[in-house]
Amino acid sequence: MAFSKLYDSARAAVADIPDGATVLLGGVSGANAPAALVSALADRNVRDLTCVCDSTYYGAEVLHGLVAAGCVSTIISPAPFGSGKDDMVHELWHSGSLAVEVVPWGTLAERMRSAGAGIGGVFLPVGIGTRFAEGKETRVVNGVECVFEPPLRGDFALIRASRADGVGNLVYAGAQRGWNSAVVSAARVAIAEVDEVVEPGSIDPELVITPGIFVNRIVRTNSAPVG
Amino acid sequence: MTLSRLEVPSVARRAAAEIAPGSVVAVSGEWSIAVADFVPEEKAVWLLQAGGMLSDLPINAADAGAALRGGHVDLSILQAAQVDSNGSFAGYHATDYPGPQGHAGLVDLAGAHRVVALLPQTGADGSSNLVDALTLPPDGVRCVDTIITDVAVFRVADTGLTLTEVAPGWSAEDVRAITGTNLTVAPNLREMDFTIPPGKPASKVYADGPSAIADLPDGATVFIDGFGGPGGMAHYLLVSLRDRGSRNLTIVSNTAGIARVVSFGTPPGHTAIDHSVLVENGQVAKAIASFPVSPSVSRPSEFELAYRRGEVDLELVPQGTLAERLRAGGAGIEAFYTPTGAGTLIAEGKESRVIDGREYILEQGLRADFALIRAHWADTRGNLVYRGTSRNFNAVMAAGARVTVVEVDEIVQPGELDPEAVVTPGIFVQRIVQRPDGFTGYE
Repeated sequence: MAFSKLYDSARAAVADIPDGATVLLGGVSGANAPAALVSALADRNVRDLTCVCDSTYYGAEVLHGLVAAGCVSTIISPAPFGSGKDDMVHELWHSGSLAVEVVPWGTLAERMRSAGAGIGGVFLPVGIGTRFAEGKETRVVNGVECVFEPPLRGDFALIRASRADGVGNLVYAGAQRGWNSAVVSAARVAIAEVDEVVEPGSIDPELVITPGIFVNRIVRTNSAPVG
Repeated sequence: MTLSRLEVPSVARRAAAEIAPGSVVAVSGEWSIAVADFVPEEKAVWLLQAGGMLSDLPINAADAGAALRGGHVDLSILQAAQVDSNGSFAGYHATDYPGPQGHAGLVDLAGAHRVVALLPQTGADGSSNLVDALTLPPDGVRCVDTIITDVAVFRVADTGLTLTEVAPGWSAEDVRAITGTNLTVAPNLREMDFTIPPGKPASKVYADGPSAIADLPDGATVFIDGFGGPGGMAHYLLVSLRDRGSRNLTIVSNTAGIARVVSFGTPPGHTAIDHSVLVENGQVAKAIASFPVSPSVSRPSEFELAYRRGEVDLELVPQGTLAERLRAGGAGIEAFYTPTGAGTLIAEGKESRVIDGREYILEQGLRADFALIRAHWADTRGNLVYRGTSRNFNAVMAAGARVTVVEVDEIVQPGELDPEAVVTPGIFVQRIVQRPDGFTGYE
């Protein structure tokens, strides 16, 4: 099969991610993570990436590979720090070589949804009275106190799914859907790492969660397939 | 003699007793995740986790956050580091995570209707984790209503904390001695009880359409699914609503009823059932719609005729904005900026703002008293699978109504639907009606 979106290797699919790019990660560990894509990116030795992800711990080995390779200068996440003092992110942050921005997870996901949906920003009733509302525009809308949250766009999204057809329609397996489907539409270029690539028309349309219009590149994973 | 403190499983077990049958529960933190072990299956509880699972259903992270903000989560059970007498909580000790902001894992959970905080009564240094005012950075303000520690249960009242239960062997004075804020002791103070009350949720399945909308009142705002043609429209519920006769309705829908005039393959001698059945029955006061008129000048719709007669009001909304306002209503987004309609009549009277060089207008979320939607399958928990284009507005309408009623072709048992095919989780669906055999979209 020859499809224009299908790349031969993870290396080829990430070849043009430049220094300084904002990269949205759909998962950081296990079957939720685009392990081959992130590994290929770390091998390229890019610098100064801003990485957006849901957490950096609970065995976030995929993200940690990228951080350990010195590719990342900023992490935007609800949970950027591990809880141990020997946490790598903690150490790098402490030494001043890594910046972190902490965002409540629902807000983070909604900011990326806004970016993907062409929304200019949303008023959310989240974090009022906490440090996460400090410095932000607030407004009472319909009697509800809200903070303004701008869209969060990425240059690239690296995601993991179970199956793709050649035009990029994606099916996820279980918890893969959570963050992978939340970040995929928010980047200029979305790259999906999948266990299986099938012919267009062979996926039940009712199972497609991410339509191919949001997916620019597809790579077969070389990590363990899901379930 | 040293009084013994409860182990984590006992605290989790006591917390599980707070969960009503059929409720939606968000959990975060080791103590609270342990709660799941003590929830009997018959209670049919939904467990929401930030990672993207709603019990056995995968859920997009943005939708998980939306469920919390949008009022769809009955209860958050979270592990806190400190709770104060106003019910504000801090999730983490300063030493847990570095930096000025630390960790934001619990902020969304504060949006549930109820928040139950689990924590050890005292810290490693013996100081109380229950305090007059937080000394740690808050993750939620005035939201906790119940506190369960390893020695007692407290309810948060306007006057501070009320001690309602003590662990076996503990007295109120024992608890007071290690509590860093004033306590009121409940007159019916008792020993903590670790039995889980039995119970099943009420069935969502209604016998027929009329009984499912029997309490739809005059003056209600009603979401009605459907695009142009008969696909995706809850015809049986529309007819049921006509027969009930509720008046002065505001209907929110893509069209205000054009299937009848466009016909879309209507068999000869029949008319398609659409919003017209309500309009001609004098039940509609207003439509909020994107396509309120017939595409044919020579065949005006019932709504169009009523509008010309001055009998109904109309708010015209671009189609994408309508869908986005519907989603916002269900997702706890009070307002949002969209570029659609900027500089047009649609923008009149609305705030505009230039963001990154582009003009946007401010639109507000839409909510309803009832939503009448249509799916192909439902299981008895209300999980929905659509078929083809009939998915259309259903998925964005389901979450925005106080009562969502779905009309389906077939009702199946839990576990029979492929979780990957469920588009609308049952937490958004209150009532299920099976379309009668032989009922068509035509009269």
